[in-house]
Amino acid sequence: MENSKYDIIIGLEIHVQSKTLSKMFCSCATNYFEKEPNTHVCPTCLGLPGALPVPNKRAIELCILLGLATQCDIDNEIHFDRKHYFYPDLPKGYQISQYKRPICSDGYIDIKDEDGKKYTIGIERIHQEEDVAKSTHHTESSTGQKYSLIDYNKSGVPLIEIVSKPNIRSAYQAKEYANRIRQIVRYLRISDADMEKGQMRCEPNISIQEKGKWEYKDNGIAPIGDYKLNTKVEVKNIGSISAVEKSIKYEIERIINTIEKGENIIQQTRGWNADKGITEFQRSKETADDYRYMPDPDIPIIEIAQKDIERISKEIVELPNEKIERYQKEYDLSDYDCTVLTADREISNYFEDIVSLLTEGKDIQKAAKLASNWVTGAVFSIANDKKIDINEKNFPKEDLIELIKRFEDGTLTRNKAEELLRRSIDKGNPLPKLIKNAINEAQKSATNLGDIVNQVIKENEKAVSDYKSGKQTTIGYLIGQVMQKTKGTADPNEAKSVLIEKLNG
Amino acid sequence: MDKKTLKHIAELSRIELTDKELEEFTPQMETILDSAKKLQEVDTSNVSPMKRHISFDDLREDIAQDSLSQGDVLKNANYKENGYIKVYGKIFGSIEES
Repeated sequence: MENSKYDIIIGLEIHVQSKTLSKMFCSCATNYFEKEPNTHVCPTCLGLPGALPVPNKRAIELCILLGLATQCDIDNEIHFDRKHYFYPDLPKGYQISQYKRPICSDGYIDIKDEDGKKYTIGIERIHQEEDVAKSTHHTESSTGQKYSLIDYNKSGVPLIEIVSKPNIRSAYQAKEYANRIRQIVRYLRISDADMEKGQMRCEPNISIQEKGKWEYKDNGIAPIGDYKLNTKVEVKNIGSISAVEKSIKYEIERIINTIEKGENIIQQTRGWNADKGITEFQRSKETADDYRYMPDPDIPIIEIAQKDIERISKEIVELPNEKIERYQKEYDLSDYDCTVLTADREISNYFEDIVSLLTEGKDIQKAAKLASNWVTGAVFSIANDKKIDINEKNFPKEDLIELIKRFEDGTLTRNKAEELLRRSIDKGNPLPKLIKNAINEAQKSATNLGDIVNQVIKENEKAVSDYKSGKQTTIGYLIGQVMQKTKGTADPNEAKSVLIEKLNG
Repeated sequence: MDKKTLKHIAELSRIELTDKELEEFTPQMETILDSAKKLQEVDTSNVSPMKRHISFDDLREDIAQDSLSQGDVLKNANYKENGYIKVYGKIFGSIEES
């Protein structure tokens, strides 16, 4: 992919569905997932004549919140526009969106590049719009006629569009950027951003230019001299963050091959096929989009006052980048641990609680290291296997602390402790009970072991006197006798230490 | 307004026009545009835009309310299937989904 002759220029459009209760311009509920089709619909989101759109306050707050978290300028007025196109998923014949004045503009976020260095990706704009209906395409088997089935439940769900500047320069950066956006919207509870459920959609556009023949100009790129820019290619149908990287990597190679063959790149939209790992031609874009934007006369201009911005900015919490920095400073954790522990707001809160519970009478960095080992180790592994969330309900903090302490004081081995934690999830056994039972059992078997060792010593007088006269290897024989009597259930190391204790005593 | 522009506008609305129709409609569209032009001649430099301003607090609170029943939603649909509205034909062309 690294090619000295070419530059890679990527822009990313990301859509996220806001987590509001009601739709963008009407009071229909947004919780349409897996619900009966066309049951979350009213005259407004169905586009019936005469219906009036009324903007959702919370949705606009969330859009501004994202703008604030990504260092954008926030406009002091909100203007909604109509974007026209004719398609059955759009019942009004236009989508209410924003054209010339997006709510948020000119922001940025920092990512870590492949070499671990900070890289800043510009955000051109963040604007508010509405989602469209869901259509599925079919062919009638009896007549061969093509038809579509439309479910309007999704129509009108608040949708935030985030447009990056074209300063993403590799597939890796694009993935990191998408990942960071997803983290931020999740941290701020703007969206669940589950890509599989379509709550977040990523659409990269990619162009390959000869090095030194182009420059950045007015939020875009321009040719230098008489160089002719290669057109960009858009990729759609990306269903995961990793597919962002994979599809762009594939496209870069495909475009470079096309250029090397001396062929022209046509402006086109391609679809990512995750099963085959390739992009497929969808349609060419010979003419520029013609959406005939116009101000929406149904919606008044909304004034944003400073007090609104102040109120909204109170919702900003410590974001992953800041958390990572603090974890490194305060906890002295590795880059890897910091990244993993801050990836999710709930998990980082959980982790921080564990640290403060463990800190009592302990060095905070030691407590953090211990907490990090347990959370990123056993807890992550169990949560992953069982497909459960890391939270108080699944892993009660007080119980986990008890377990860690029992491991620390040597009552439980790491394996035993992890096994108990896993079992506490498996069968819904409360962990404190499991810990208590395990300790009782260990004590019981220890008492038993003592009796058995006494018996073995009594029955093997010769071996015992051999040992006592300095023939240390006899201990192996005696351990074997203990193991035989316990039918292999005893821990040989423990048997050895009990034997030595009694023989020397 | 020429035939090419009209054809483009028709395509955006998924309307197919024959050559004869294009011939017939182009001058008609011209008349409509001329009328609009007349309106634009009016001097509005001292007239402020009619667009209303509201404050943030006037916006709708985020409260979900009951929607129409599925039966009501589908009432006016010519074709339906399993609760979906059914649309025949190749309206889809090359226009993008958002």
